[in-house]
Amino acid sequence: MTAPATDRGEITASDGARSAPRLRWNAGTAQRLGLIVVIAGLVVAFGSARTAFYDQQLTMFPLLRDIAVLTVVGLAQMAVLSIGHMNLAVGRMAAFSAMFMGLAYQDWHLPLYPGLAIGLLAGAAIGGLTGWIIAVTGVNSFVVTLAMDFALLGLVSLVYAQTTTVAAFTTNPAGMDGLRTYSLADVCVGQVCGSPAVPQLLLFTVLAMLIVGYLYSRTRIGRELLLVGSNIKAAQLSGIPAMRRVVGAHALSGTLAALAGFMLAVAGGSFTATIGSEFMIPSFLGPVLGGTLLTGGVVSVIGTLLGTTLTQVIRQGLTLLGIGLESLNIYLGVILLVALSANRIRAVLSERRAVTPR
Amino acid sequence: MTDNTDPLLVADRLVKNFPGVRALDGASLTLEAGSVHALLGENGAGKSTLIKIITGLYRPDGGSLTVAGGEVVLRSAGDAVRAGIAVVHQERNLIHEFSVAENITLRRTPSQRGLVDRKAMHANAQRCLDLLGLDLDLDAPVKGLSVAQTQLVEIAKALSTESRVLLLDEPTSALTLAEADRLFEIVGRLRDQGKAILLVSHKLEEVFAICDTVTVLRDGTSVLEAAPLAEHSTDEVISLMVGRSHAAQRFAPRPVPADGAPALEIDRVSTASGHRDISLQVRRGEIVGLYGLVGAGRTELAKALLGLDRVVSGEIRVNGDTVHVKDVRQALNTYRIGYVPENRKEEGLFLDQSLTMNIAVTVWERIRRALGYVPRRRERDLAVDYTQRLGIRSSGPDQLAGNLSGGNQQKVSLAKWLAAETEILIIDEPTVGIDIRTKGAFHQLIWQLAADGLAILLITSDLPEMVTLADRIMVMRDFQIAGAVANDHEYERVSRAVIGLIHGREPAGPVVE
Repeated sequence: MTAPATDRGEITASDGARSAPRLRWNAGTAQRLGLIVVIAGLVVAFGSARTAFYDQQLTMFPLLRDIAVLTVVGLAQMAVLSIGHMNLAVGRMAAFSAMFMGLAYQDWHLPLYPGLAIGLLAGAAIGGLTGWIIAVTGVNSFVVTLAMDFALLGLVSLVYAQTTTVAAFTTNPAGMDGLRTYSLADVCVGQVCGSPAVPQLLLFTVLAMLIVGYLYSRTRIGRELLLVGSNIKAAQLSGIPAMRRVVGAHALSGTLAALAGFMLAVAGGSFTATIGSEFMIPSFLGPVLGGTLLTGGVVSVIGTLLGTTLTQVIRQGLTLLGIGLESLNIYLGVILLVALSANRIRAVLSERRAVTPR
Repeated sequence: MTDNTDPLLVADRLVKNFPGVRALDGASLTLEAGSVHALLGENGAGKSTLIKIITGLYRPDGGSLTVAGGEVVLRSAGDAVRAGIAVVHQERNLIHEFSVAENITLRRTPSQRGLVDRKAMHANAQRCLDLLGLDLDLDAPVKGLSVAQTQLVEIAKALSTESRVLLLDEPTSALTLAEADRLFEIVGRLRDQGKAILLVSHKLEEVFAICDTVTVLRDGTSVLEAAPLAEHSTDEVISLMVGRSHAAQRFAPRPVPADGAPALEIDRVSTASGHRDISLQVRRGEIVGLYGLVGAGRTELAKALLGLDRVVSGEIRVNGDTVHVKDVRQALNTYRIGYVPENRKEEGLFLDQSLTMNIAVTVWERIRRALGYVPRRRERDLAVDYTQRLGIRSSGPDQLAGNLSGGNQQKVSLAKWLAAETEILIIDEPTVGIDIRTKGAFHQLIWQLAADGLAILLITSDLPEMVTLADRIMVMRDFQIAGAVANDHEYERVSRAVIGLIHGREPAGPVVE
């Protein structure tokens, strides 16, 4: 299942060399179609090996819930990848925001959605601050977000230690349990909105995908983010307020991380200090497998969903086949490596194209 | 190992191609032991390419290099040093925190068991300074030295590798007259020691004062090779540099409203980056050229107009109103100033993005609707429109900018400012690395833009291009305006006047103030 990914990368580049425009569009689409084919094939394969894979409540529902959460995490990373940065603190920003939501529910007794709003604001603020530090100091985003990760780790642990007894908030707002357990079949009448396998949480993901997709494909700011990622010097000299865009991309990343933190807390049943500690690697896997470039300038929202789905299907399937957690992580590590190499090969080939006279 | 009569270095019919351009096309050079040789040529004639080949930075696509009678292939700068060739670049390459001795012996620091042998280092450095007849404190850090002293330390450093061929690239550009005289005294001493010295300089007076022989490059070819300088006059040499083949392309006369109010006025402006008392005006429909050597402060002046440099005193006026440009966005949206940068790949284009993105970037602000929505049809149409208007050869608005040829890329870099409907356009080195035919088309385009009423400030180091396009030529030297030349498109007269101003001579041509 790893070979097709590499092949696709090479096809993209060699096709592009001849005539980039139409084939490039096709290559992006082809990559996503390829992902769909691979995912479908894996689902069939795992399903025939273990019929339990098709169990709506026991397998599909949690699988889709994980995909829902991790796709938002992927979008959070994609937001900074679009400008050629990375956010190593994506998980800790989720924890930081979840902490505010926990406080909002436990100590300030806010209802579900106002609490979520506070969490999103906290995420936007911490992301924006990170972006601002990067823009002003000019220090690499890797270094700044790594430092931010440590700082937030300390802060979050400290606050939980002071305000809670078991490193988790105990009061949950009304409606949270419903969100966790309800599927689409539970909330609507008849059979209009389908299956008990689809968790309600997925609606947040769809909403996030629509907003982020609209931003990047339809708006001025989205286009400017991509151009900052492509070539920040040229962006500045073309009148794009590059510093503001850098801050904006990181604020968006923080907001999406906060949403993911909320979703994970809902899925897990409580706001805890460890929220987001598993986010970092999946946050890169989803976008990069889906065609987002690490070097900036190219993103894909659908690709992020598909990339995340692929990794989660593999994880779930291998778990059902009885493969232990450690070997699972080896497989996921290998997939990430292959995806990143494909990314690099593409970049090298497009560079070569750029300097070769036609 | 060699026959003493062999020349120390022979470059024979070197050819070097870059994508879209032939930088060297049969350039030859001969350096004899015990003589000072001048390498002359206009900007873009191929001097730096030739030097980079001799110093191992570029490999030639054709021709050969012979050092002391034996053919060599230089794969790196280290190879050149081992072949006995040393170069003193125009930019200083010393480590400021290190001492004079450490800098001089940097390329070959004497060591024993991995530790620096300070005694040997001092002895070597002293020997190099003695060759130059210099008296400097070996332990003093380089950062405390004067410009002229660092220049001499550079030369000492070049000598430390026991080189027999010494290349000096514009060695006096930062020196006073007295310091330059001192330097040439030392060059004479080195010549008497049997070294072959190559001097690249724009200052013809000093070339004639100290050089024995001369090679003149034009369009990548040696038009005068290893000729005794005594047999040629300054005028002959300038004529050879300039060439008669370059009879400037003539365009139909274009009406320049002589009495029109200036669109852009720079009035006694000094900037943080070092400009002093710059004054110039560009009227609508006029092309004002800004000529000067690399480092004269032309691009920096453009950036000051975009708000990227601080204006310390004086004022900038746009259509008569005093302006304080904050940033590029404001320059574009409020004052309608556009800047086509010199380095299109690094500053002008988004190579991995579509033509639409590259061209529409400046108009999103204008065509966006509620929620920042940019109508795709609109930006695509705009991109298609300008692709056709400028004759950009592409497979469509989705083509990646990186896949276009150099000339077409340059057009894309220009297109975004036209799409933005700028009124003042600063164009910086528009045709560097562009082949001769596309160049002509590009000149036509710039000329047409002016005819359409744009005020154009043209920065170019290509003198024929300047004479072809500009209505007036402002010559810059050391971040100051050295003078202005009215362009009557008589190439020889104008180029003489311009070169005169650059060389700090009182111009003999048609000069206006």
